[in-house]
Amino acid sequence: MLDAYIQSYNQAVFETDKPAALDVVNQALSDGFSPEDIVFKLVIPAVELMMTLIEKDPDANLAQHFMTAQIAADVTEKMLEKFSKPPEMIGRVVIGAAYGDLHSLGKRIVSGCLKSLMVDVVDLGTNVSAEKFVDTAMTENAQVIAVSAMMVHTATSEKGSLGVRALLQERGLEQQIKLAVGGAPYRFDPELYIKVGADAWAPDGVTAAKVIVDLIREVKP
Amino acid sequence: MTTITPNAGQTASQASDMLATVSSDEQTLRVLLKPHLSVRQALDTTDLRVRAACGGLGTCGACLIQTVSGEFNPPTLAERQKLLPEDLAAGMRLACQLRPHSHCTLYLEHPAPHSAWKSLDPTQLYHASGNPAISEHFYGVAVDLGTTHIRLSVWNRQSGRRIGTRYSINPQVAHGADVLTRLNAERLDVQDCRRIGQQAREAIMDGIRDILSRDMGEITPVLAALGKVLIVGNTAMLTLICGNSGDSLYQPENWQSPIVCLPTDADAWRQIWRTPHADIDIAQPLAGFIGSDLLADLLATGITEQSQPMLLADFGTNTEIAVWDGTNLWASSVPGGPAFEGVGMRNGLTAEAGAICKVSASGLQTIGDAQARGYCASGFIDAIALLLDKKHLKPSGRFAEPPTEQGFLLQADVPKSAIFASDIDIFQRAKASTAAAMAQLLALAGLKVNELDRLWICGSFGQHLDLNSAFRVGLLPTLPSERISLLANASLAGCEQLLLNPAGPNLLNEIVQRARTINLGGVFEYENRFIDNLRLQPMPIEEFQ
Repeated sequence: MLDAYIQSYNQAVFETDKPAALDVVNQALSDGFSPEDIVFKLVIPAVELMMTLIEKDPDANLAQHFMTAQIAADVTEKMLEKFSKPPEMIGRVVIGAAYGDLHSLGKRIVSGCLKSLMVDVVDLGTNVSAEKFVDTAMTENAQVIAVSAMMVHTATSEKGSLGVRALLQERGLEQQIKLAVGGAPYRFDPELYIKVGADAWAPDGVTAAKVIVDLIREVKP
Repeated sequence: MTTITPNAGQTASQASDMLATVSSDEQTLRVLLKPHLSVRQALDTTDLRVRAACGGLGTCGACLIQTVSGEFNPPTLAERQKLLPEDLAAGMRLACQLRPHSHCTLYLEHPAPHSAWKSLDPTQLYHASGNPAISEHFYGVAVDLGTTHIRLSVWNRQSGRRIGTRYSINPQVAHGADVLTRLNAERLDVQDCRRIGQQAREAIMDGIRDILSRDMGEITPVLAALGKVLIVGNTAMLTLICGNSGDSLYQPENWQSPIVCLPTDADAWRQIWRTPHADIDIAQPLAGFIGSDLLADLLATGITEQSQPMLLADFGTNTEIAVWDGTNLWASSVPGGPAFEGVGMRNGLTAEAGAICKVSASGLQTIGDAQARGYCASGFIDAIALLLDKKHLKPSGRFAEPPTEQGFLLQADVPKSAIFASDIDIFQRAKASTAAAMAQLLALAGLKVNELDRLWICGSFGQHLDLNSAFRVGLLPTLPSERISLLANASLAGCEQLLLNPAGPNLLNEIVQRARTINLGGVFEYENRFIDNLRLQPMPIEEFQ
């Protein structure tokens, strides 16, 4: 029944046309489909399809990643407001840019995709200290800490991921809380995530969401 | 008061312009000659310069050129003194005295050795009135030190006469290192910082010497009488040329606060330059991410003396944007990435001979009509607009049909007209960050685009820019063209004013007092605007009315 909408929604997402995507969703709503159906049968499969496409196409345009994630997040947010009861979230992640790093757009893509995949996102913003990452993950019962760093020195700093790892170790949290990293320096050196003490990394924002969902499932099967 | 006439659109070619085809044994250029310029002055702005050792007065006789066809002014007194009658009869002339009266063909047997330095069109620069109070060391130099370009001019500060202007690629670009990218990607080590700073100093002196040798015919005595060098530029370059490491620029707390750029070794610097009396003065940047080049732009355009709202954007590796609401100034900068300087794209070039500078349905146009070697920013923007119109490119930035490994050839027989998906991506992000920054600063100032009395586009980027293409791709808000002014050398013009106008420093201080620096990195709405502006389409009008 939703098939016709799925096709035109996927088309709109592929064309990064947010107004067109919202039109499809609104049409589906006015035709009587529930917000839950729209999120679970339309939006989430579209995000997953994008992930597959992007994995196959390493040259995919970064601008398109941004726009795709933004559409997913916007549509999901609009639908969640209309849900009859709060949806069951699959987990929670604390995300932010590393200490000394003011780049925030990379984590925006990740957050957008995560939200549409029913992951709670606690966004700490930019220039976040290791203590704040770990303290918040503890109080919020998050399964994953995601640290974005766009510069080599913020990726490798003792106050960034390495600091988070040290605190997790010190507080005996390594089984409950996993550490994911992402950002330009990790693309230049695919082994870098190990050097900074992370459990996983992803080359782009859309696949990062998938990697984080996998980490959540490791902690919370 | 500003002395610059706003120039809507570029200096268009006019009926009185003559087309000269100039050949050497190495190359052939087609040059448009304005009636008020000599052949030498026109060629000084190209890669094919005549030899010269005087300021174009016909006294050195070095700028010999052969006329092949066309009509010209009769030989001047200087030419009759310098050239033999039989040479004159054979069509030999002095390029500095030569003015064609028709389209013409010229042959240059002995061009000047190749140099990266070219002259600037002085019409949009500062007009000084001279200062009789300066009694010694009366030469002065104004420098606009950019990440990719250096512009400078040498002056007689006493008489207010400009001896010459030059611009060139900053040598650190030739070394394949974009400072800002590298500052972002990795810490430059102390040696790198010192090397880049030294290279910038050498480049400036190289430009000064080029002016002195070609436009005065003597170097050492003028350097000895050089009393002041004033440098404006982006904060990173100013930090490095002062001999400091770039370290302070990494600290986020420094981005919005003033950074003091003072030479660490002024005496050694003067010694190397052989300018014992030169006061080397750095115009202080506004903040860690807003250089004094923006302040110089504001000075040159005189925006902050107006009661009407205006917006100024200086496009470059870092694009600096300022909104003036009639009382206060809102300033910020965003990464233009290399997109607006033509560097970094697969077939990207700065605006030099062979760069595709205009693209339309009827074909490609290159600078100097030379063989196409790639796109400069204006040509690339035209190309994107054309691809969108022809539906080869979608607003998402995807090609309708994925191009081959050779890229999308805009013209089948021109390999260097190829455009790649990665180029589109770089451009989309650069234009989105700029468009979003304009919208955000306007929002902060409580202004709408419609209320802008004028939009100033500064930087060499504007030189060949087609406004309709810029509107089409969403780089600039769609405004009537008479409300848009392009001022390619605004930073240098402002620096000249600061060097020569005794009131300059006070005017600059007033601008600084009125300025609020905005770090868009911390503004959530800015991120939404950035993403919304990634699509290749005219700016959403509802944002602006």
